[in-house]
Amino acid sequence: MPTSDRQLTDVDRVVMKRILDLIIPAVDDLPGAGGLGLAERVERGSMRYGRLRSGMLSILDAMTLDIASRVEGGFAALDEERQIASVKTVEADLPVQFSEFVELVYETYYTDSRVHERIGWVGRPPQPEGFDIGSWDPSILENARKREPFWRKVE
Amino acid sequence: MIVGAGASGAAVAWRLAQAGFSVVCLEQGRWINPSLYPTDDKNWEILGRHEWNWDPNKRGNPEDYPVNDAESDISPLMFAAVGGSTIHWTAHTPRFHPSDFRVKSLDGVADDWPITYDDLDTYYDMNDMMMGCSGINGDPAVPPRSPRPMPPIPLGKDGAHMAAAFERLGWHWWPSDNYMNSMPYKGRDACNYCGRVGFGCTRKAKSSTDVNYWPEAVRLGAVVKTHARVSEITVGANGRATGANYFDRAGNAKHQAARSVVMAGNGIGTPRLLLMSKSDAHPDGLLNSSGLVGKNLMFHPYSITTGLIPDLSETWQGPMGNILMSQEFYETDPKRDFVRGYAYQMNRGTGPLGTALGGAHEPVTWGAGHHEDFSERFGHNVVLAGIGEDLPEEHNTVTLDDRLTDSNGLPAPKINYTLSENSRRLMDHSVKSATTVLREAGATRVMANPLLRSGGWHLMGTARMGDDPERSVVDQWCQSHDADNVFVVDGSVFVTAGAVNPTPTLQAIALRAADYIVHERDDLKG
Ligand SMILES: Cc1cc2nc3c(=O)[nH]c(=O)nc-3n(C[C@H](O)[C@H](O)[C@H](O)COP(=O)(O)OP(=O)(O)OC[C@H]3O[C@@H](n4cnc5c(N)ncnc54)[C@H](O)[C@@H]3O)c2cc1C
Ligand code: SF4
Repeated sequence: MPTSDRQLTDVDRVVMKRILDLIIPAVDDLPGAGGLGLAERVERGSMRYGRLRSGMLSILDAMTLDIASRVEGGFAALDEERQIASVKTVEADLPVQFSEFVELVYETYYTDSRVHERIGWVGRPPQPEGFDIGSWDPSILENARKREPFWRKVE
Repeated sequence: MIVGAGASGAAVAWRLAQAGFSVVCLEQGRWINPSLYPTDDKNWEILGRHEWNWDPNKRGNPEDYPVNDAESDISPLMFAAVGGSTIHWTAHTPRFHPSDFRVKSLDGVADDWPITYDDLDTYYDMNDMMMGCSGINGDPAVPPRSPRPMPPIPLGKDGAHMAAAFERLGWHWWPSDNYMNSMPYKGRDACNYCGRVGFGCTRKAKSSTDVNYWPEAVRLGAVVKTHARVSEITVGANGRATGANYFDRAGNAKHQAARSVVMAGNGIGTPRLLLMSKSDAHPDGLLNSSGLVGKNLMFHPYSITTGLIPDLSETWQGPMGNILMSQEFYETDPKRDFVRGYAYQMNRGTGPLGTALGGAHEPVTWGAGHHEDFSERFGHNVVLAGIGEDLPEEHNTVTLDDRLTDSNGLPAPKINYTLSENSRRLMDHSVKSATTVLREAGATRVMANPLLRSGGWHLMGTARMGDDPERSVVDQWCQSHDADNVFVVDGSVFVTAGAVNPTPTLQAIALRAADYIVHERDDLKG
């Protein structure tokens, strides 16, 4: 179990960028999460929430240390297919930490304004503008009102 | 003296202060300025998952106590502040049915309540006026009642779409009763349908007791002591309460003297404090001669069935809930393999992050297929939440944890809760029927979670009411059998749970108890 005050190394950062691209790949003209430059924000987000930081560090340890001990050149030297396979292995070995890491990645990606623009989100917080959902139309109850009362009577 | 400034404590404080009682409330949380709520922050979704998380264990504010829920099928959710859990609640406010108070007589299970629907009718109305209810009369699933002070919240395109699907199946639906302002009400703004009701409302359009009951009660002379965590209800040699020991913000031990004590700490906080209040007169904890304090814990189990409906778009526009409900399967039907029943609440989709993380379901898949999965869900997701009637079982308990403590070193509550076979069947049925409706509405994919673990919004049953002191903790007026100057007014007193959200009912019970004190217990006026 890594301590959550461990600092990221340059190798960690290279691996992280690549994993981000594997978790959320490029789409249309938007690069993947790594290519969007989100690794730094993921790292910053993890500083804020300790629970997610230890998940992130566990995954990076597994990807950098474990794989480096088995494969020459480590994770970065693998081809894409094998990279995906090794991420899946880590997911199976460390399911809780992996899902915390994915949570952190999604938190970063889906709060990015470029992503909001692509998916058609309004790109602003819900307040103060709110939304327009029309007005109340009593005629919608015309059929529902026809049903006889069916609540259960008691003495 | 009242312990807890949430939904029930606020109602009692207002009523007693109005009648000239001298009221002091000890609350472990603080007043929250609505401008602090995260809905106008660009990181609102992240803040909602951390600092404003519904789960005290995830939020971890010093004023929260942690809860050991490792041995519970459902995690309890609550908030500590003036306003209590109504700070976070979604304010869906249907009433119990008359049958809910008579389950033993009607269905041979659990127990009847010592009160009836009619006993609460006036207090439901009083509470609807104070909290501000939006809704409309004529629902065939419930008894006739007085009009709500505000018309319903608009259904939106998605609500109307789902209503049509219910109608094609011949199944009941009706606009949800709720405590959100469909128009300006008592000095509070109308809702602008921002959607994130469960994160607190910056406009005060969602009713929480810090913006309605409490300001009135304070105006009438009630005093709220915040950051005051009660560690023990103190008693005299005769076993009657004399006040409470508490810790202030700086951790100093203090005492508040009182002629009577009203417990309003919720279905977990109240039994916890009663169990912490051991004395020679009450060796097993205060009010616990029956041994029932902390037993019979009920949640409402929730199933979540989500349909992805390509014909709908932008389902994140509008209040997350409080759209419509169905009570088609509310009452016992001998043809089904369970007793009692469940209701549906329709919920909308969420923002981008909430969608990606899946809510009650698996997160959007990572890797290849990620974007397809996300776009199939985002803006097209509609939820039918099945809320089931949980029956009381003595082995579902709140006890004191022997290791985990709060920031004052007081024992945290430990929850042991196992979903019953009846509830499991009921939840399975709710998923099946929800799938039918969602398919009828055009869902091309349906995702189902038959039991939402993080769905312990409703905390009930742990100091139940009844006529028999051996089988209950308080009487029908919420006055304890063991000490006549101690009252319990929160969801702890529920005998059974019904299959609707409990807060209007628990507030009505609290108002009724307060009326009893006003009219019958002049000796407690100080
Ligand atoms: C996210 C969420 C959504 C919900 N949605 C709905 C809904 O749509 N409809 C509905 O009907 N209900 C809903 N509920 C439930 C509703 O909020 C509760 O039923 C209601 O608030 C309970 O009222 P109460 O007075 O019993 O307790 P609470 O409102 O929980 O208040 C208890 C107060 O007591 C204080 N307290 C406890 N112990 C101590 C102590 N030892 N010393 C000092 N203070 C103490 C707490 O800090 C708290 O402020 C929801 C709840 C949550 C969390
Ligand atoms: S949907 Fe309405 S009531 Fe809910 S938080 Fe937004 S403005 Fe407030």
